[in-house]
Parts: sequence; structure tokens; C-alpha cells
Amino acid sequence: MQKVRAAAVGIGEVPSGRFPERSEIEAAILACRDAILDAGMAPTDIDVVMPVGALASRHFNVDLVFSRLCEELGMLRSAKMNVQVMSGGATSSSMLAIAEGLIAGGLARNVLCIHSDAVGSLPKQAGIDLFSTTGVSEEWEAPYGHNMNAVGALAANRYMHETGTTEEELASVCVALRQWAQLNPHAMFRTPLTIEEVLASKMVATPLRAKHCNMLADGAAAFIVARAEDAPHITKTPVYVRGHGSLVTHYTVSQDTNLARLGFEEAGAEAYAKAGIGPEHMQLAQIYDAYPVWPLITLDGLKLCRGERAGAFVAAGETSPGGSLPMTTNGGMLSQGHTAVGGGIAVLVEAFRQLMGKAGERQVANLVNAVETASGGTWMDSHVTILSKEY
Amino acid sequence: MTNSSRPLPQPSRWSAGYWEAAAERRFVVQECRSCDRPIMYPKRVCPHCLGDDLGWRASPGKGEIYAVTAQLAGPPTGFADRLPYVVAIIRLDEGVQLMSNIVGDGALEARIGDRVSVGFEDAGGTVLPVFRLDESEVAR
Ligand SMILES: [Zn+2]
Repeated sequence: MQKVRAAAVGIGEVPSGRFPERSEIEAAILACRDAILDAGMAPTDIDVVMPVGALASRHFNVDLVFSRLCEELGMLRSAKMNVQVMSGGATSSSMLAIAEGLIAGGLARNVLCIHSDAVGSLPKQAGIDLFSTTGVSEEWEAPYGHNMNAVGALAANRYMHETGTTEEELASVCVALRQWAQLNPHAMFRTPLTIEEVLASKMVATPLRAKHCNMLADGAAAFIVARAEDAPHITKTPVYVRGHGSLVTHYTVSQDTNLARLGFEEAGAEAYAKAGIGPEHMQLAQIYDAYPVWPLITLDGLKLCRGERAGAFVAAGETSPGGSLPMTTNGGMLSQGHTAVGGGIAVLVEAFRQLMGKAGERQVANLVNAVETASGGTWMDSHVTILSKEY
Repeated sequence: MTNSSRPLPQPSRWSAGYWEAAAERRFVVQECRSCDRPIMYPKRVCPHCLGDDLGWRASPGKGEIYAVTAQLAGPPTGFADRLPYVVAIIRLDEGVQLMSNIVGDGALEARIGDRVSVGFEDAGGTVLPVFRLDESEVAR
């Protein structure tokens, strides 16, 4: 078991969706402002700013790299370092781990982590083409028409083959996430969704249909990480980082030798060991999705389904509102919207929000422990973080 | 970009031999002469021993489908007129994996475990290795 060294003490988020009038920098400023106010801090309390890599606009990303947020938010001559962190969709987990490490090493005291992007406002084909380059080899895969839907489809194909998971079970992941999104005012899609509607939607990339696929969205979210010993003096609702585990399994998806598992079993075992608690203690699973097969792979690897197959577990409603293991209560990328790297940040911020008791209508009762996961590119890596209200 | 912007491989100094062989309708797999292991995709140094005495081994180009998906909508730029097309991860008998298209008879019904053999497709001046289902699979 590892010493608890860091805690989340504030969160901020703007709604996800298509907001062509809201620039990336505006969304970033608002999310950071909300996180600083949520922590009860002043901007000058922040000593490290970590902006996540943004994909839609190179110009905006350059601004993030070169400390624009420090200038916009009153942190000039108080912030010591502005440093970009980027591992695609895994950045939620990796950034939290890096912030924890800086804090544990005495190199930082209060770290502001921020993501903003506007991939939802890109023209549709530009969005498809952008995500046909993230973790897709230009030389070896792009010439064959590879793209992000194909990644989710290839993994679903392999996973269904190895586990016997059905199309209905795959669709049930989308339905469960939508049920949660109906309770989330920041979600892009809030209308009810049924398994029949998913299975009646147009086939896009076998076995995936249109409603198995995420929609790109604009969004921004921020959180502040502080020293564990400071946290109870900063806020009444600190969320402690108990343990993190991770494993890189490929760059290009064609090189993964275990596509139906990835590295979640190994990453989960590492995270549980560091936290000193196991799957039986998890009351909330904030699982990175984007396509419905990934939560199933993750639930299996983390042994969260009490010996059942993940597909059967989700189809039985166990991860829906009222179920035994609420999962991704913001609605995930499938329903809150795929804000590029921010899809994972939103999943992590929701874990903090739930553990802080600030999730409103969708608040999970009596919550103490949660598990958060993430993966980048074409699910190149498997990240698992255990978070607790107390330790 | 030509050919309605379909992306084509831009060989690196160490992968050129693969594409030169494909242009001659030959399929090769990179090999490490220090540790004798096959390497896919071609690399500058051997990922097993970090040696750089690398060469090419003629391959029969046979293997089986590890995962497969038929693309029916929403393709990247350059592929709209190719719909439907089939993207697969192929595990070669040498033990290495690569992505390619499954083309020809039965491609849209290709399944995991199906045996496939390499073929070649001219994509506007660049020859791409592609794979076809073996006859026994098509007859299935
Ligand atoms: Zn070698």
C-alpha cells in the first residue's frame, strides 16, 4: 500500500456539445475559474498549470503551451511552471499521476489541470480525418482506410469473438450511459435511448452501428490537485488519490496481441495493490468509453462484475441508475460527447464530483471509493486510478 | 495529394525495401540477423535486441484474420468511393501482425480465424499488399 500524497480539491466544467460561439480559450478560462473558486482558492495559490494538448486548433494549443492561461487568470509571477501534458485520451490519468508525482516530490503544491478543445465544431469530414491520424500509422494503416470507428469495431469484433458478448449487450452499454446522461445538464445527448434504437441505426463499421459511435463535441474541464496533508484545510470535500496502475500495449492497434483485454488486468492489479483496496470496495466505476467495447474490456480486466461477463452485467442494468455499480455517471463520451482528450478528463472530473457529493440528481449515495480509467490514441494504454473520499 | 487524396505510404529509409518488394509483387517481412526474429512493421532497429543488422525475408504471405470490420459509412477522405471495404488485422504464420484490406470473393463475410493469403493492389502507382480469403474459406 502506498502513502496517500495528493488529493483533488476543486473542479470546473462547461457543458459539452456544439458551441461555435464559445472559443476554446473562453471555455478554458471558465472551467479554470470554476475550479479555482470551487477549491476556495485564489489564482495565486496555483504554482503549476498543466494544460492538456488540444487537437482542433494548433494556434490555441500553442497558446496553452506558452502560458496564456497564466496571463488570463491572474497567475503571472505566482505560477512557477506551465507545462503541457499529453497522452491523448489517457491524459486524465497520466496528468493526475504526474501532478501527484510533482507534489510528492516537493516540486509543486497546487496543480491546475485544464483541458479545452472544440473538435465538435470542426466540419464533419475534418473530424473524421483528424481522428484517422491519432494513433493510426500514416505509412502502415492510413493507406487501408483505417479510422477511429474501425478501431472500436476491430476491438468489438475480437472481444465478442472471445467472450460470446452479443450485439444487444454491446448496445446496452450505450443505453446505460444515456440513462446517466439524462441526469447530466452538461451532456450533449439527453434524450432516452433503447437497445432497439441502437440496433436499428445504420451499420457503420461492423459490428458497430451509428448509435454505437460517439459524436465529437466542444468542451472544457479543469481540476486542482493539492498535497494530501493540505487538502482538508483547503476544502471540506477532498478526494484522495489512492493508487494508479498502467501499461502501454501498442501504438498502432494492429500491433496489440491481446486486443480483447489490453492491459487493464495488469493496470488494475497494480492500482488495487497500491491503494490497498480491491474491486469489492469500488462503488463507482468511471470508465473511459468512446466506443461500447472499451468499458466491457475494462470492467472484465478490473474484475468489477462479480464473476459475470461484463456484457451480461451491463445488460442486466447493474451499471445503470439504481444498479449495484454505477458506471460513468456523466454519460461518457458516448452521451456527454467526445471532446477529444477531454472525454477522459470529463470521466475523471465526474469521479471527483461524485466523491465530493456534488453530482446533483445523479449523485451516488454513500460513496467512498471509486475507480477511474483511461486510454489514449487507439487504446494504446490502460490506466487505472483508485480514488477515495477518505483513507 | 492525388487520387482523391487517398493517403499512400511515404516509405522511410528503413521501410523502402518492403515497398520496393511490393512493387514487384513480392511480400517480405523484415528480419533481424542478430536475433533472427521477424519484425513488423519494419523498424530502424530491432525492438527485441536493438541491433541494426536488419534485412528482408521472403514470406509466403499467409496467415489468419485476428480481427475484422467492414466499413460501410463515414470513411476518411479518399475512401468514399471504395465503400464498402474491409479492414483487418492479420496474424501472419511468422507470428507478426499487420493491418490490411481483405479483398475479393467473400471479403464482406470475412471472419476471425479465416485463412488469408497476400495479394497486391495498385493504388495509383503504389502497390499495397492486400489479402484474400483462401478458397476453402470462400466455399464455406
Ligand atoms: Zn534482434
